[in-house]
Amino acid sequence: MNFNVMYRPSGAMAQVQLEGGEQLLAEAGAMIGMSPNMNMETQAKGGVGAGLKRMFSGESFFQNTFTAMNGPGEVLVAHSLPGDIVSIEVPQSALMIQSSSFIASHMGVTTSAKVGGFKTFFAGEGLFALRSEASGPGQQVLVGAFGGITEMQCDGNLVIDTGHLVAWDAGLTYKTQKSASGWLASFLSGEGLVCQFEGQGRVWIQSRNPREYGTLIGRQLPPA
Amino acid sequence: MKWDLRQRPDFGICQLTFDQPGEQMVVEASAMVARDSNVDMTTNMKGGLGGALKRKISGESVFQNTFTASSPGETLWFAPGADGDMECHIMDGSHSVMLASSCFVAAAPSVELDTKFAGVKGFFSGTKLFLIKCDGQGPLFFGSYGAIHAVDVGPAGYICDTQHIVGFTGGLDYQLRGVGGLKGFFASGEGFVCEFKGQGRLWLATRSAGGIASFLQPFRPTKN
Repeated sequence: MNFNVMYRPSGAMAQVQLEGGEQLLAEAGAMIGMSPNMNMETQAKGGVGAGLKRMFSGESFFQNTFTAMNGPGEVLVAHSLPGDIVSIEVPQSALMIQSSSFIASHMGVTTSAKVGGFKTFFAGEGLFALRSEASGPGQQVLVGAFGGITEMQCDGNLVIDTGHLVAWDAGLTYKTQKSASGWLASFLSGEGLVCQFEGQGRVWIQSRNPREYGTLIGRQLPPA
Repeated sequence: MKWDLRQRPDFGICQLTFDQPGEQMVVEASAMVARDSNVDMTTNMKGGLGGALKRKISGESVFQNTFTASSPGETLWFAPGADGDMECHIMDGSHSVMLASSCFVAAAPSVELDTKFAGVKGFFSGTKLFLIKCDGQGPLFFGSYGAIHAVDVGPAGYICDTQHIVGFTGGLDYQLRGVGGLKGFFASGEGFVCEFKGQGRLWLATRSAGGIASFLQPFRPTKN
């Protein structure tokens, strides 16, 4: 299977080329186009329980499995916000993905929801994380972002605004916290919640915060 | 005339230079960006009242502007409304082009435009896939939200999400249908797809305006 990411960064799309019999697991609604020999099957992967968890995490309840029948085929996938796509090989120690960034993966990747906890829930940041685990080496996920994607190295510790997080190595320990010591200072700083990482590993960030953008444009729209 | 498509794929714009006095370009209302002041502009309801009404229903603008050069070397700039790509297809008279109505930007007056309804199926699906049938000879310019990805459809055919269709050449037969059976239709998030058969070129947009609109919807202020 080959992931070919085109039109980076703002209209990025992944052209996934599959050999006969190979399968791709994709977020519901991510498919733009495909060759007609691709068989699409819809299921709540991991059963209804996992489906419900995914739904609460802001992902879709259902996922689609694409299988190349009778020879090679292709699927074109993308997320809906303007921004970049990268493919990441899921490390042995697993990969954490901000829920709306997941687009697709190899079948050997198991992705489950991990609810971020009360604090993030009430802060309305919607930081629900998905945990992707690979059955072996070479298993990849496609993640999409709002804006450009930058890979950073956490060397000891790193603080990232939750609205700019895309993915991180699960080997890093993390906790969400206020950006400043007091709630008032935190509120005034405009930074809201940040994620505090510790350890050694990679972190991927997006150059725009969807929530900021939504607020900027949304408040200029007529009331619903 | 000659032209240069610039700033693709993120913010496509066309700089067109007229070679001869009397050369003309028909441009969608409001798509003109700049012109030499000696380029004459006339506004008309192309196709008469009937044609204008059809265009109104299909979501295009009722009026189109015709620009006429008065001397060689005069320039005309035009661009689509959305942040995205722009493409030019040179019509040679051998085939027509079907264009999603919102994607039309400009054409030579020798290209005939006819609004064509996608048919009963199109209405049922709620996809609002209105198509313009373009015939004749000369350059045809169209734009998209996101990048434009061209697919050369062979005998095997191709399947795509209806929301991502920009246009296709007349050699292709198309059929709207659901994917993945009943469950797939309701749960897959893919809804209706368009299946193409035959030989020709299909242009797809890597993003859909509906996608960003649904993202922004929850950010609208509520009444009271």
